[in-house]
Amino acid sequence: MATPNLKDILGKLKYSDDAKVVQQITEQMKAVKGRMAAVRHKLVVMSGKGGVGKSMTTVNLALAFARQGHKVGVLDVDLNGPCVPQMLGMRGQRFIITPDGAIPPVGPLGMKIGSMDFFLDELSPVRWKGPMDLSPVWLGLMEMNVLREFIADIAWGEVDYLLADLPPGAAADKPPVIAGFIPDLDGAIVVTTPSAVASDVVRKSIAYARDLGIKVLGIVENMSTYRCPQCGTESELFEGDTEAMCRALDLPLLGRIPFDRTLAQSFDKGVPLIDGDYPTLKRYDEIVNRIKTLVDYKKIMATQL
Amino acid sequence: MKFVCMKCETYMNFEKVEKPAEGSLGVFFGCPSCGARFTMVTNPGETQMVSSLGVQLGGRTVDAQPFEMTRGGLRAEGEGQAEMANYLKEHYSEKPAAAPAPAEGEKKTGGCPFSAVVAQMGLGASTTAGASTTSEFEWTPDALERLEKTPSFVRPMIKGGVEAYARKHDYKKITLQVMDDSKNATEGLPWAPAAEKRLENIPDFIRPMARREVERIAQERGAAVVTEAIMDEAKIKFMNFM
Repeated sequence: MATPNLKDILGKLKYSDDAKVVQQITEQMKAVKGRMAAVRHKLVVMSGKGGVGKSMTTVNLALAFARQGHKVGVLDVDLNGPCVPQMLGMRGQRFIITPDGAIPPVGPLGMKIGSMDFFLDELSPVRWKGPMDLSPVWLGLMEMNVLREFIADIAWGEVDYLLADLPPGAAADKPPVIAGFIPDLDGAIVVTTPSAVASDVVRKSIAYARDLGIKVLGIVENMSTYRCPQCGTESELFEGDTEAMCRALDLPLLGRIPFDRTLAQSFDKGVPLIDGDYPTLKRYDEIVNRIKTLVDYKKIMATQL
Repeated sequence: MKFVCMKCETYMNFEKVEKPAEGSLGVFFGCPSCGARFTMVTNPGETQMVSSLGVQLGGRTVDAQPFEMTRGGLRAEGEGQAEMANYLKEHYSEKPAAAPAPAEGEKKTGGCPFSAVVAQMGLGASTTAGASTTSEFEWTPDALERLEKTPSFVRPMIKGGVEAYARKHDYKKITLQVMDDSKNATEGLPWAPAAEKRLENIPDFIRPMARREVERIAQERGAAVVTEAIMDEAKIKFMNFM
């Protein structure tokens, strides 16, 4: 007897999802969309380069939004190196798990914070159970689903601005993919330093994000200058021209932030400076005003042109 | 994933899932036509791959709980990481390390360690590679220095833009002023005075974006000048987004 042709057989059959896998994945996506619907504006802070100050920028932009009276959430998406709770003096806090979602701890100025750190003991690294815990393929799959839980399961309540602090990475890494998870994303804020090395990698991450259809709102230049607390001299940390990069990429330069040792130390100690009169914090306030203008660009064009 | 009964030429039905051993799944399928049944058995690694999708084969019997994968998947103390935690505790001091005595060289820098580090990194020295290639224009040293500070990947574009501007205005020498002027020059369509005035209603930070957007619409319409009528069109377009 001739072996039946599989292609012909499948052509006659109707597929059914009787293991209910597709149904569950669809429900997961619906949960993400439903949860994010309550958040008015969603922003991600990213950079192709590590060490440029993404978390510092995220937290300070969030604080600036909060200072302006907005309800703010911060999602620390760096699963393996969460540092937002430390910066805000919130180590050791935990989510409160309820049937309606995980209630996030509340930090300075009423900001709600979601972080992997809230699941970890003080010195514990992130380690997963099971025989596949060291398999890169499995880890990638697992981490993406854990990220999905972070987006879908936190009960943010009413939030005006949710800022997600993405892990470092450029073209082949996760950040732009993570950003793509967030429905109705308002855009990405890209952090760089004026160094040639950073700007080259950052450019690649912007290209990748744009390929995925993620709107890049603009660039924040961090560590623009350094003011020596001893001699008062303001020096350039790097020789570079972020403004030129912005022009080349057709992106606005949202602002320049100097390296401020006093501010950095306050976050290191978990006792952040939040006084809006502090000069460096005023710069974050200005950046936030520009971000708000960009987020409302279409509305402004429709009403004011 | 589906299984086909080749004898009956039909999909086999998913029936149930059992756990025959720790970390293993037995997934049962049956043919609705001939009644043949078989079981697919997974090893612990395969089981974990399936569970990391966040789904349960055959559907859920209870609702998903917040962070169930995260909470269920994390290794707790005593599951292999206690040793590492103890090691870190032993070697980790809460007290800040005593500052090392300044080296001889640092004393001579006038107490600004950061400046010394910057100097050591050689950041004060500029590089000339890539900027001073052959050009029909004479670049002044300060203009050339500014060009050299731009990221290498945008340098040719900036150089080309400045030189195109200089060529257009019949300049022979490129100075900092020429660079600034070229940056501020608008190379787009001409604007009617009333349209230009109306553009000022847009906050200055996003005005360049608005200008480009309106010019794009004007070009689509084949207009040679941006007028208020073109701006009305742009406004309607954005109102439709709201």
